[in-house]
Amino acid sequence: MAQAALTIDGLSVDFEGFKAVNGVSMIVEDGELRVLLGANGAGKTTLMDLISGKTRSTGGRVFLHDTDITNWEEHRIARAGIGRKFQIPSVFKELTVRRNLEVASCTSPSVFANLGFGFPAKAKVDEVLELIGLTDEANRVAAYLSHGQTQWLELGLLLTQDPKIILLDEPTAGMTQAETHKTSLIVNNLKGRHTIIVVEHDMAFVREIAERITVLHLGQVLAEGSVSEIETDPKVKQAYLGSKGIT
Amino acid sequence: MLEVLFIGLSLGSILLLVALGLAITYGAMGVINMAHGEMVMVGAYVTVLSGLWLGTNIFVAIPLAFIVTALLGLLIERVVVRKLYGRLLDTLLATWGIAILIQQAVRLEFGLSFLGIHIQGLGPGLQNVSVPEILQGTLRIAGADINRYRAFIIVVTAILALATWFVIYRTVAGTQVRAIIRNPKMAAACGIDVTRVNALTFAFGSGLAGVAGVMMSGFKTVFPDMGTPMVVDGFLVVVMGGVGSLLGSVFSAGILGEINGLVAAATNDILARAVVFGVVIAIIVLKPKGLFALKGR
Amino acid sequence: MLSRRRIDWVIYAAFIVLIMVFPLIMDSFWLNRLAKYLVFGMLGIAVALSWGYAGILNLGQGLFFGAGAYMLAMSLKLASTTSLQQGSDKPVPDFMLWNAEPGAKTELCCINKASFLWLPFQSQWFGVAMALVLPVLIAFVLGSIVFRKRISGVFVSIITLALVLLVRLIMIDAQPVTNGFNGLTDLGWFKLGEFEFDPYVVPTYYLIAISLSVVLVLARLLVETRAGVILQAIRDDQNRARYLGFDVPAYQTFFFAVSALIAGFAGMLYVIVSEFASPTFMDLSFSITMVVWAAVGGRASILGACIGAILINMISATVSETEGFAEAWKAIIGLVFVLVVLYLPRGIAGLAHDLIDRFVARRTPDRTRALRVNGASSQLAE
Repeated sequence: MAQAALTIDGLSVDFEGFKAVNGVSMIVEDGELRVLLGANGAGKTTLMDLISGKTRSTGGRVFLHDTDITNWEEHRIARAGIGRKFQIPSVFKELTVRRNLEVASCTSPSVFANLGFGFPAKAKVDEVLELIGLTDEANRVAAYLSHGQTQWLELGLLLTQDPKIILLDEPTAGMTQAETHKTSLIVNNLKGRHTIIVVEHDMAFVREIAERITVLHLGQVLAEGSVSEIETDPKVKQAYLGSKGIT
Repeated sequence: MLEVLFIGLSLGSILLLVALGLAITYGAMGVINMAHGEMVMVGAYVTVLSGLWLGTNIFVAIPLAFIVTALLGLLIERVVVRKLYGRLLDTLLATWGIAILIQQAVRLEFGLSFLGIHIQGLGPGLQNVSVPEILQGTLRIAGADINRYRAFIIVVTAILALATWFVIYRTVAGTQVRAIIRNPKMAAACGIDVTRVNALTFAFGSGLAGVAGVMMSGFKTVFPDMGTPMVVDGFLVVVMGGVGSLLGSVFSAGILGEINGLVAAATNDILARAVVFGVVIAIIVLKPKGLFALKGR
Repeated sequence: MLSRRRIDWVIYAAFIVLIMVFPLIMDSFWLNRLAKYLVFGMLGIAVALSWGYAGILNLGQGLFFGAGAYMLAMSLKLASTTSLQQGSDKPVPDFMLWNAEPGAKTELCCINKASFLWLPFQSQWFGVAMALVLPVLIAFVLGSIVFRKRISGVFVSIITLALVLLVRLIMIDAQPVTNGFNGLTDLGWFKLGEFEFDPYVVPTYYLIAISLSVVLVLARLLVETRAGVILQAIRDDQNRARYLGFDVPAYQTFFFAVSALIAGFAGMLYVIVSEFASPTFMDLSFSITMVVWAAVGGRASILGACIGAILINMISATVSETEGFAEAWKAIIGLVFVLVVLYLPRGIAGLAHDLIDRFVARRTPDRTRALRVNGASSQLAE
């Protein structure tokens, strides 16, 4: 059995009485690709917020390998090795594509360590540019990229940062079919090298990438298993998919 | 003590008078109008000019100033502000430029002074407005001497605040304005003509500033630069109260006015103003959204 | 891209050469004026750094300028002959003597309750050190609080604005130590060894010109470091930077403090050439005027903002010679400013960059011409 990369133990958050995430526990193994499914309001994005430090939890713990990272500041969690992609793509709009990746390639977080010139990781940046297919756009300002390209650039920021765990919040939102397919190629390419957790609605995409799926319902874990197990799980059918199953 | 509290109340009402218009333009449109103080100044000059040329008193000047500054506001919105929606800091800077233009227009008598033509009541000098007799002197209430003009200001401010509240919370136009405060894009999608409502809102806010100017002219000397400190005070009130909250502006104006009055009574006017700035800074740092922030995202 | 950068440095060099040759063609009266405008140019740099690069619109830059100015002015006041009247060899500022309580001891330690604060300023270098340390300290404390609390945008502007006005009022109110509204006047000259910097001589001009050149080059280098690029990334999207692991408030505070340091340094130099320090340095209109210079010159260009400040002041000094035109000039500035914000948001520097790009594109073969579109858009980034 592989080692646990991320351990979530009874994680909860209480928004003035409303428990958006309520006692969620799960273990994601090293190199695994985990998909989070669930209806709107099931707590998927909130769970990501809790892991990445955006929201402070009111109960439970989060471990990255053996380190307790519960309620750390965002940048410390990021430094510890958790990268995150947002639902609404966010990149550095007024910098060129290459500059965006160079910023992500800075390994030291402090101001004073960065008072030097030049970004050493040129090879890494070129490799990522190739992987996300933006080599030709390297000198363009990010504001002029298409929606899909912006999403890929944000993925690229994560790849350059090279975190142990990557959290992807709806990476194909608003994409065309061709763009979605390309995204699944990028994500598949990452499998094994990074531990990945994806929130996604697009079942075609999920089938292309998924190994294990965790289904959330009303802030709690409803089921966990492979694609086929989830597709046939009666609890899931009842609570989320209706009687017709995944279409 | 009662007299000190009363002075605080009157200072607060003056703050509110200036802040009301800003609460609307900034709260509803997200426009920081640095020329707001100049609207107050224009209102004051309307009083001066109408007194000199038409022989009318302050009561006539109130509607007159409202109309003049509302039209001026409409013009500014059309020509400049409209092009800068969504660029908050740029509007701040552009309206600062407009503020200088308006100041210089008054000072140079619209450029006529170069031709040797002078208009009585304009120009760089100081102007004074005489207040009608019934507003002079003091009233005796509960054993305290109360300045009639200050009392008049408080009454006018209360009426304007109520009128504004009514317009915003009890009319169709006001409902549209509130919809825009919450979410301009959604409001537009629901069929609200955001451009038109914004223009009218800006004009209304400017008109309120004009009325504030009329009130100011009764107890302050009128001169081209008089608006600059006022816009600062107005902003502090609005930000401290919580952007988009009329009630917040009323409360913070009251609080700041009383603090100003009390500290001034204990020390001096300069320190009182310093303390007011200190309080505002502390509140913005502690509660960046202001005392009465809108709930929600 | 490389050639663009090279052209930039050529322009920097040309600017520095230009300000170095001015003494050859100007009389001492104009040279003194120009020295003041170069100081304002330095303020333009400070504004560009915090506004253009960090995205922090500081409407209270006058606070740092004023702090730098007052700190050195206190030393120079004590070095002035006006502080040595009454036959004493121990300096006491004249205004303290005029306002002294009858029977008070006429010594700096105890002529009034707070006059002891002046004691260390008998050393000119203490004044110089404080002129640099105090602005940085204020900026550091303010930045630590404000940026840690994730206050941003217009709220930072309002806090800085309220703060400068607050300090201005305190300076006015503390009349016994600061001479209130009148400020510190009749100052002595800055000394370097035996040399005294008379504000109207050429070496004083060079003191300012060289200081400006150094600040200009250092500021430009600073924004080209990794930290400078990360700062621009933070300006574009704070959250993204935070989730890439950068300590956002630390970057903001650092550059805010650097900007304050430059403004404080400018304040100090201004005292050397103008021989006074006054609360007007902390007027709201002065702080906003600095922003106007930077906006006209180009908010996101170090040199642009600097040139904007110098140019506006030179033109306004020239037209103000014509009687009655000074007020009209103010109106023109107001109008120009509105037009710049509306139609030229990147200022003169942005316009210049576009022209350079067009020029470069015309002279190079097709391959690079295709890249021109990219080049033109990339100025946004600079």
